[in-house]
Amino acid sequence: MSDHLTVVGVRWHGDGIFEIGFKREGLSFVPGDCVALFGEDGNCSRPYSLASGIDEDELRFVIRRMDDGQVSPYLATCSPGDRVKASPPFGWFRPGPNEDGAPFVFVATGTGISPFLSHFFSRPEIPPAMCLYGVRILQDAVETSMIGSRCSLRLAVSGEECPGTHYGRVTDLLDDMPCAPDHHYFLCGLDEMIDEVSAWLEDHNVPIMHIHRECFFNVTHSR
Amino acid sequence: MKTEPLHHITRSDWLNTSKGDPRGYIQPEKLTELWFHTGTTCNLRCPFCLEDSKPGDNRINPLDFVDAKPFIDEAMKMGVEQFSFTGGEPFVIAEFVKILSYALDRRPCLVLTNATEPLTNRLSEILPLREKPFAVKFRISIDYPDAARHDAGRGPGNFRRALETLGRLYEFGFDVSIARQREKDEDEKAVDRKFHPHLAAVGVPASVNIVSFPDFLTPGSVPRVPEITEQCMTTYHAEESRKAFMCNYTKFVLKKNERVRVYACTLVDDDEDYDLGASLTESMKVRVMLGHHRCYSCFAFGASCSES
Repeated sequence: MSDHLTVVGVRWHGDGIFEIGFKREGLSFVPGDCVALFGEDGNCSRPYSLASGIDEDELRFVIRRMDDGQVSPYLATCSPGDRVKASPPFGWFRPGPNEDGAPFVFVATGTGISPFLSHFFSRPEIPPAMCLYGVRILQDAVETSMIGSRCSLRLAVSGEECPGTHYGRVTDLLDDMPCAPDHHYFLCGLDEMIDEVSAWLEDHNVPIMHIHRECFFNVTHSR
Repeated sequence: MKTEPLHHITRSDWLNTSKGDPRGYIQPEKLTELWFHTGTTCNLRCPFCLEDSKPGDNRINPLDFVDAKPFIDEAMKMGVEQFSFTGGEPFVIAEFVKILSYALDRRPCLVLTNATEPLTNRLSEILPLREKPFAVKFRISIDYPDAARHDAGRGPGNFRRALETLGRLYEFGFDVSIARQREKDEDEKAVDRKFHPHLAAVGVPASVNIVSFPDFLTPGSVPRVPEITEQCMTTYHAEESRKAFMCNYTKFVLKKNERVRVYACTLVDDDEDYDLGASLTESMKVRVMLGHHRCYSCFAFGASCSES
């Protein structure tokens, strides 16, 4: 592949969350893969999970604009036709069914929904048993209609009360989640959430081999 | 009959120091350990990384099974005793467990890892490796016996994650060790002792091996260090310590620009002068001139990435 991607467009979901699309240009990936996108200087990069399906013509990323970030403010201002330096896809997080075909569950906070979106768009016929999704404000939640049409979606909004959603943290909803030692759990988002859910699952006898984690960002390694 | 040394480079500045003295060298003897670089992509972005590894980095390309297999096979014919793997983070690489599995059918292996999500997400693939004919040992990077200092470089929470993974691997029956950073004028044993409470907290005995490394600086750095002459190598080193230089008994396989190459050791992959070719057999014939600034670390501190 070329080491640059061509921007198709930028779409805002809320004040801080935007989606940037690129031409596919033959690039192949699997759900869970990331691409390192570079800032304007071409030196500083940040990894972002692909949010689009493997058969789509476009590559999409859901990104939170970090005010003091070195990459996301630049990406947020890109226009169609701009060329952005990018790495080949890479990754170590593989959401979706395991070889044993056991049920699986997604838990995401914020833009940590991205790899799960890639799974929903790539393999709609194999949905998770449930998707727990936590955001700060309702506007930050992306593709909830699509997710809700494919599986049981529980949406938690911590910063405002919204009808039909849980007012609080996503971890408040763990007792609602199907929990069994043979299930697989895919966790993506803030490190605090991941650690808390991992500990909860282990306390409920889920083996660590069935807990798959993508620590999306934290205080100093923010995206 | 004494044979002439084989120099793959004959430039004067390769063979001699800046003052014109014959440069110190190691004439490799027997390949006993083969190292593989799995690529500079990593899930972490540590500012001090000697490989400048980070997410998506491609300075050294990801290693595939078809890249590694011929070198494992060639090394076996040469009587290699161990395979070792470093990155980047090896468990980021899609085919790494397949490579490791093939190697473990033949020889013991050492894997250097940061013991965070890329490893823990693949535990179900890793656990069956316990049934292999040879054992794998995991060397986990825990820079300091202090969570705040470790996390300042590797990201919040990663001290605890690495420590927990260390404990789990030990509990699962794997051999483990720790790689830490060495500070100037430190009391080595006192620093090691500070790890003991942390080890105890995750059920790992204090006897676990702790390997310390000096700051090797990032790739391409050109620090001023003393040049090593032939005379230095005989004045300050005896035959036994010369044999302990990694370039005497190891080689380093890595993929750059989509070509798999053999380098003199794990610390010099940023300098093309240490590219010794595409075959282990040929690379072992080449005299390694000690001209890289990291050669001085080996010379002065006895640094070795190896671990028996």
